[in-house]
Amino acid sequence: MATLLLPRHGARARSSFEGLTRRVITIVGALLVGVILASRLPLGENPVLLSAVPWALGALGAAWFISPIDQPERLQGQALMVAATAAILLVAVSAGPLTAALAGAMALTPIAGEHWRLPGRFRPALSALLLLLAAAAALLAAVAPVSVVLVLFDIGLNVNSLVLLGAAILLVAGAAATPIGIEWAAALGILAVTAVAPALRWAALAGLIAVATTLDRRGERAAWLAAGALAITSVLPPLAAPSWSARVQVVALAAGLALMLFAARAATLRVLVLPTTALVVMVALASVNVAGLVRFQWIAAVGALLLVARAALTWLLPDTSGREVVRDGLVAALLLLAVSARDALGLGALAAVLLLIDVAVVRIDDVPSASSRWSRLVVLARSNWPASITFAAATLTVIAALQAGLALGLLAAALLAALQLAPLVDRHAAPPAPLRPRSALRWVGPALSVGCGIAPALVLRMIQLAR
Amino acid sequence: MPLALQALLPFSALLGAAAIVRRRPRRRGNGWIAAGATGLAAVIALVELLRLSPGEHVDVPYLTTFPYADLAIRLDGLSLAFATITLITSALLMLARQRVRGDRRDPWAAWLLTSAATCAVIFADDLLLVYIALQLLTLAWSGALDEASPRRRGLRLVVQVADIGLLLAAASAIQSVGTSAFSGVPSDTFGLAPFVLVLLPVMVRIGALTHIWGGPKAAVSFEPAIAWIAPAGYLLLRLLALMGGRLPDRPTAVSLFAVGVLGALVFVGMALFEQAGPRVAGLLLAAQASLAIALSTGDQPLLTVASTWFWLLLVPLAGLAGIHRRDGSPPEALTLLGLAMVPGSVAFVGLWLAGLALNARGLLLAMIPVGLVVVLAVIAALRHVTVRRPSQLDVATAWAGVLLLVAAFPIIAIGTLVVPAAATVRLVPRGMISVSLFGLATDFGAWPALAVSVVVGIMVGLAGWRLHGRLPLRARGADGGLRFPSLVPVRPGRPTLPAWSQFVLWGAFAAVVGAVAVRP
Repeated sequence: MATLLLPRHGARARSSFEGLTRRVITIVGALLVGVILASRLPLGENPVLLSAVPWALGALGAAWFISPIDQPERLQGQALMVAATAAILLVAVSAGPLTAALAGAMALTPIAGEHWRLPGRFRPALSALLLLLAAAAALLAAVAPVSVVLVLFDIGLNVNSLVLLGAAILLVAGAAATPIGIEWAAALGILAVTAVAPALRWAALAGLIAVATTLDRRGERAAWLAAGALAITSVLPPLAAPSWSARVQVVALAAGLALMLFAARAATLRVLVLPTTALVVMVALASVNVAGLVRFQWIAAVGALLLVARAALTWLLPDTSGREVVRDGLVAALLLLAVSARDALGLGALAAVLLLIDVAVVRIDDVPSASSRWSRLVVLARSNWPASITFAAATLTVIAALQAGLALGLLAAALLAALQLAPLVDRHAAPPAPLRPRSALRWVGPALSVGCGIAPALVLRMIQLAR
Repeated sequence: MPLALQALLPFSALLGAAAIVRRRPRRRGNGWIAAGATGLAAVIALVELLRLSPGEHVDVPYLTTFPYADLAIRLDGLSLAFATITLITSALLMLARQRVRGDRRDPWAAWLLTSAATCAVIFADDLLLVYIALQLLTLAWSGALDEASPRRRGLRLVVQVADIGLLLAAASAIQSVGTSAFSGVPSDTFGLAPFVLVLLPVMVRIGALTHIWGGPKAAVSFEPAIAWIAPAGYLLLRLLALMGGRLPDRPTAVSLFAVGVLGALVFVGMALFEQAGPRVAGLLLAAQASLAIALSTGDQPLLTVASTWFWLLLVPLAGLAGIHRRDGSPPEALTLLGLAMVPGSVAFVGLWLAGLALNARGLLLAMIPVGLVVVLAVIAALRHVTVRRPSQLDVATAWAGVLLLVAAFPIIAIGTLVVPAAATVRLVPRGMISVSLFGLATDFGAWPALAVSVVVGIMVGLAGWRLHGRLPLRARGADGGLRFPSLVPVRPGRPTLPAWSQFVLWGAFAAVVGAVAVRP
C-alpha cells in the first residue's frame, strides 16, 4: 500500500546496461539471501513458500534501496524493508490488531520523511513543547521510581526511569538538533524505545532510519544493516534453538550497536537514530546472562578498536576531504564500552547516557572561537575538561569498564588518554551537522553539557530508580 | 562557626579575590589583593591545623555531584600542612611578582585559581575527587580552555594522560570496596599496580621541573612549586597514608628506593653538564624530589617524618627557585646551596633524619648513593654560584633567609607542620622526636641544627676570605656592588669537573670502607 502511495512523475530515468545488470544482480542476490533466511527461520507452521513472502518482499526492498533506478524507487524500497520487518516480526511474535496496524503503518514513514515538513509557524511552539515534555519526563524519572506498562487498547508501552530519561534525550535532540521540519521524528524514536511489541519497536526504528536519511544519506546502508542485525534478535527466540539463539542474539545486539555507531557519524542518524538504538540495546542487555555479557564485551572491545582505527585511518589517507573527527570515533568507542560494562553500581549505564547526550545534543555543530563569555562556555562544554559532559562520561566509562574487567578498563583508559590527545589531530574540526540555521535553542547543548558534567549523580539517580 | 563553613574559608578567600581581580583588570593593587587573600587562606589553614588534635581527621561532606565521589573536604594533618605551606609559598610568589617592575601582564586571577585548584587537590576527600581536582589544576595553570591551543600543549597533555593512572587507582578502589573515599578505604586495598599507577602523575610532575625553565621565562614562575611539586608530594604521601604508611612489600620498597636514588643521580648528572642557571635549579629540584620519593619508601616512623619534612620543605624551596634573579644575587646563591642539600640547608635535615632511621635498621649503606647525590649536587651548584653583596632586601632574600632559619631552628616547622602531617601517613609514637632551640633529638641520634648552621656559615665565610687572595674579589662591580668571585666559566665550553672532585670520590670510598668496618 505504501509503495503505491508514492507518486511517479512521468517516465522513469533511462537505465544503462551496466546499471540494469547491477540491478538484476542485486535483486537476485537479495532474493537468494531472503529465501535462505526464510528456509532457516520458518515462521510458525506455514509452508515455506508462504513464509518466504515477507522475506522476499524485504529482499526486494533492500535491492531497490541498494540499487534504485530513481528516488521514488529508493523510497519504495525503504517502505518495503520497513513493512517486511514489521511483517516478519508480527508473524514470529504475535501482537494485537492495533499494534499490528501501527507497525504496518511504519511503512509510511519513508514517504512522510520525504514529503512532510512541519510548517514554519508551528516550529517554535513545537520546539517549546518538546523541551517542556523532556523536562517533565526527566523530572518524573528523577523523583519517582516508575516502572509500568501503559496499555492503550492493545499497544503496550514500557515506561520506567531509564526509558523516561531516553525519551527526554530524544525530545531534546528533536527540538534542538534535528533538521528543520522533521522534529516529529523524535516521536518514532520514543516509540521504538518504549514499545513492548518487538514488531512495533523495530519497525519504528526502521522508520526512523528512513526519515533520518531523507536529507543526508551518509551511513544509511550501515544503518540499515545495523537495524537488520538488531531486529533479528526478536526473530530468533521463537524460531531457533534456544542455545544457538541466545548466543546469536547477543552477538547481533553488539554487532548492531557497533554498526550503528559506525553509521551514525553525522546529521539525523547521529542525533536521533543513535540514541534510540543505544537505548534499545541497553534495555535489551538488562536481561542477558553473564556469559552473554562477556560475549557482548568482546565484540564491544573489538568494535571500539575498529571505530577508532577507522577514524584515525582517514587521517593517513591522501584524500583530505574524507577525514573524520577522531574525537567522535573515540567517543563512539567509549560509548560502546560503556554500554557493555553492565556493572552493579550502574556507572556503565550512566556513562552511556551521558555519552549519548554528548553525541546527540552537544557535539553537533562548529565550535565558535573563544572570544566572548558565551563562546568560552561553548568551548568548555565541548572540551574534555571537568564540568563538561565528555569529561564526566569518559571518567565514568573507565570506572565502569574496570568494574566489568581489567582488560576492558585498560582499554577504556587508553581511549580516554587518546581522547585527551585527539585535539592535536582534530584541532577545531566538527562533524557534519544537521541542516539547521542558527536557532534560539543553541544554548541547550552547552547548558546540558555543563549541567550533566557537574552533577552526573542526578542522572545516576534516575537510572538507579529504574532498577 | 560551623565546620562546613570553616573548611570552605580558604577557598572563599582565594575565589573571592580571583573574582575581585577579574573585575578590575590591570590595577596596581591587584597583586596586593591576591597576595593578601592567599596569605589569609594560609593563615586559616594553619589555624585549622593548630586546632586539630594529634591524629584527628575531619570529613566534611557537602554534596553528591559525581557518583562515588562525594563533594567532601578532608581536614587532617597532611592536608592542612600541605595547604598551609603551599599557600604561604603562593602568597610569597605573588609578593615577589608584585615587586617586579615593568611587567604589564596580569597573572593574578590565574594564580589565584591555580592556588584554589591545588587546595582542591589537597583537601579532596576521595581519590576520584582528587583526579577531578588535578584536571582542574591543569586547566588553571595552563589556561588552555581550548584544548587545541598550543599554550604548553605538550606538557599539559602529558600531565593529563599521566593523571589517568590516578583515575585507574580510584576505579580499582571503587571496584574493591565500593568507594575511593579516604575514610572508607582499608589499608590493604591498594596493591602494587595501583601504587605504580599513582606514581605516574607524581613522576610526570617531577619530570616537568627539568624542562620548563629552559625557555623564555617570566620573572616569577608560579607553576613549579604550586602546580607540580605540591600536588606531587601530597599525592605520594596521601597514597602512603591510605596504604597505612608502608609499601605493599619489601621488594617494592627496595625497587622504589633504587629508582628514586637513580633518578636523583641522573638529574644531578644532567645538572653537572648544564650551563643555564634556571635549568640547573630545575634539575636539582627534580633530584631532591627523586630523593624524597626514595625516602618515602621506608616503613619506620622516623623515615616517614624525614620524607614528610623533605616534601613539605621542597615546596617553598621550589617557590624560591621560581624567582628569577640577576646572576650573582644573594638569594640565587642561597637557593643553589639549598638545592645542593649542603649541611645547614633544610633538605639536609631530612637527609640526616633518614640516615638515622636507616642506621637504626642497619641500612646505613643505603645512604651512600644518597651522599653521592648530595656531593654531585654540591659540585653542580658551586659551578654556578656567584655572590654579590646585597644592595637591598627583597622578598627572595628574606625568603631564602627564612629557609636557612628553619634549617637552623627546625622547631619552627617540625612540631607544627611536619609531625602532624607524618602522623597522618603512619603512626608516629609520641616523644619519638623532640625538638629544642638547638636542634633535634630522636631515639636513634640527634641533629645539632643550630651548631651545624653556625659552623657551616663560618666555613663559608672563611672560604670566601681564603679565596680572596687567589681569586680576588672585585672591589666594586659595574653596578656598584661588592662581588665575590664566580665559579662559573666565562665562556661555556666542554663540561669539566673541578680538580678537587677526585677527593670527593676518594672520600666516598673511605666512607664505604668506614661503614663496612664499623658495621657489626
